[in-house]
Amino acid sequence: MTSQGSSEPRASPYFWYRLMGRDEEGYDVYELFIGPQHPASGHMRIIVRLDGDIIVDAEPDIGYVHRTMEKLAEGREYIKNIPLFERATIIDAANITWGYVRAVEQLLGLEAPPRAEYLRTLLAEINRIASHLYGFGIAGIMLNHSTMFMWAFGDREVWVQLAEDLTGARLTHSYIIPGGVRRNLPQDFREKALKAIRYMEKRLQDYERIFVKNPVIIARYVDVGVIKADEAKRLGIVGPNLRAAGVRYDARIAEKYGAYPELEFEIPVREEGDAMARLLVRIEEIRQSMSIIKQILDKIPDGPIFHEKYYRMLPPKLKEFVESTGRLKLPGAFIRLKPEPGEAVARVEMGHGEVFYHIVSDGSIKPYRVRVITPAFRNVVLYRYLTRGARFMDLPAIYGSIDYFPPEGDR
Amino acid sequence: MAEDVYKPGNLLTSLKRHAAAIATGLRYLLSTKRMTVRYPEFLIDLGEGYRGMIRWRRERCISCGLCAQICPAAAMKMYKLPGEKKMFPGINYQRCIFCGFCVDVCPAFALEHTPVHDLSYEELDEMIYIPERFDTEWVSPALKEGARPVKVVFDEEVGLRHEPK
Repeated sequence: MTSQGSSEPRASPYFWYRLMGRDEEGYDVYELFIGPQHPASGHMRIIVRLDGDIIVDAEPDIGYVHRTMEKLAEGREYIKNIPLFERATIIDAANITWGYVRAVEQLLGLEAPPRAEYLRTLLAEINRIASHLYGFGIAGIMLNHSTMFMWAFGDREVWVQLAEDLTGARLTHSYIIPGGVRRNLPQDFREKALKAIRYMEKRLQDYERIFVKNPVIIARYVDVGVIKADEAKRLGIVGPNLRAAGVRYDARIAEKYGAYPELEFEIPVREEGDAMARLLVRIEEIRQSMSIIKQILDKIPDGPIFHEKYYRMLPPKLKEFVESTGRLKLPGAFIRLKPEPGEAVARVEMGHGEVFYHIVSDGSIKPYRVRVITPAFRNVVLYRYLTRGARFMDLPAIYGSIDYFPPEGDR
Repeated sequence: MAEDVYKPGNLLTSLKRHAAAIATGLRYLLSTKRMTVRYPEFLIDLGEGYRGMIRWRRERCISCGLCAQICPAAAMKMYKLPGEKKMFPGINYQRCIFCGFCVDVCPAFALEHTPVHDLSYEELDEMIYIPERFDTEWVSPALKEGARPVKVVFDEEVGLRHEPK
């Protein structure tokens, strides 16, 4: 449409195309910056290039919450790094510190007593449920489903309360330490946990009615952001995102740590690889985690919660306190743990996927190097591969379904 | 579980699902059960195990300094008091992360957690507790203003219930 007269009329579409940055060849790509101020799940930026309504490319621009965690870890004693790494994934504190503690235990040549391993597994599964509910809520609000957001965050409170009863802190548990755990199971914990499980099972049915089977959500999620098994393997995706693409891989099975070899559970896998499959895998994982918690409460063996080597160092008065209250006292030698020179690697399945630790010890009281590869960092590449060719409307749906947690990715 | 989300639905199934979603929402809208605690009229009583503000008892302290050594945030420090040979711990609540390592490592039970957690300060300097101020009884400001303590009860219907204590 050309106009008559000297100047182009403002209403012409060409005017708008020029505003959108159309280049000389007539190819119009509109660059849109989303973020970096907390677009939905934390500080990050997505640079989206749009051709009309179709995403040509979406580039995740990360690093806004980088805290040099690996470098900070080199300047602290081994035990002091536990509260530090906790802050990478505050919503999944038990799992992210467990990986670190497992690597340190290998360096020290320690093994936690069976009861401690069960308690670790218990808190890890409580954290997994809380982490999935967090992601679920964020995914809900990204589709403007504020009810799902409120419900998931409200129900997460039940699991946070359980974790608080066990550890004394809502999120920053610092519960798993080299050689064991810091508190024994409270007496009324079993009853509380079973009530929480029965409540959650009922709520999951409500979630299904209001969110999962809601035709609006089906329209937004089914066949959106599809990734197939080959591609997911090639990109090195981990966690529920990988399992939703049809790859049966879980560090809990692969690594056989904690009490997992003695417990029965399934690894939910789906073939579809779309946003809906990722959501369904997470919901099924919540169910499996609840079944694991039930089994732990039935099977948990009696015995010490802390390694004999360090427990022995406590004076009788402190031992008495530990026995009567179930709250551990640490020996003074624990401040300066001194492993032999060497290297250790450990991996643990978090709510978001597999976390990997590589610790190099030079025989001093501080680690020489700690390398952390978090699941969010490995999943961030999905932004680019899932969004290509999708409509712009699908970006929040894909964003929510990946369950990306920026502080964890940036460390 | 929700296998049928992948099956192509028709108008009727779609209508049914819309109705189910709205009915579920309405059921909760009209329900009187709430999980919310109306702080500061009500205050959750967190019980003994909670890792809140740390209480130090001077008469028990043996000045070993382990608490200052283990503190991951360098919040706990040893101070020299005038006229005293020994050093005593003081805490900086600008830095404290409430990990409780100091409490766990204290061999003399001089440090312990209290359930108090809802304090606020007007000045940053007030958050530094030198030993003279550290040996205090913590009181929740909400309780001081007459908040009613409630305890958390797990419930199959509501998730968490808060009962007056």
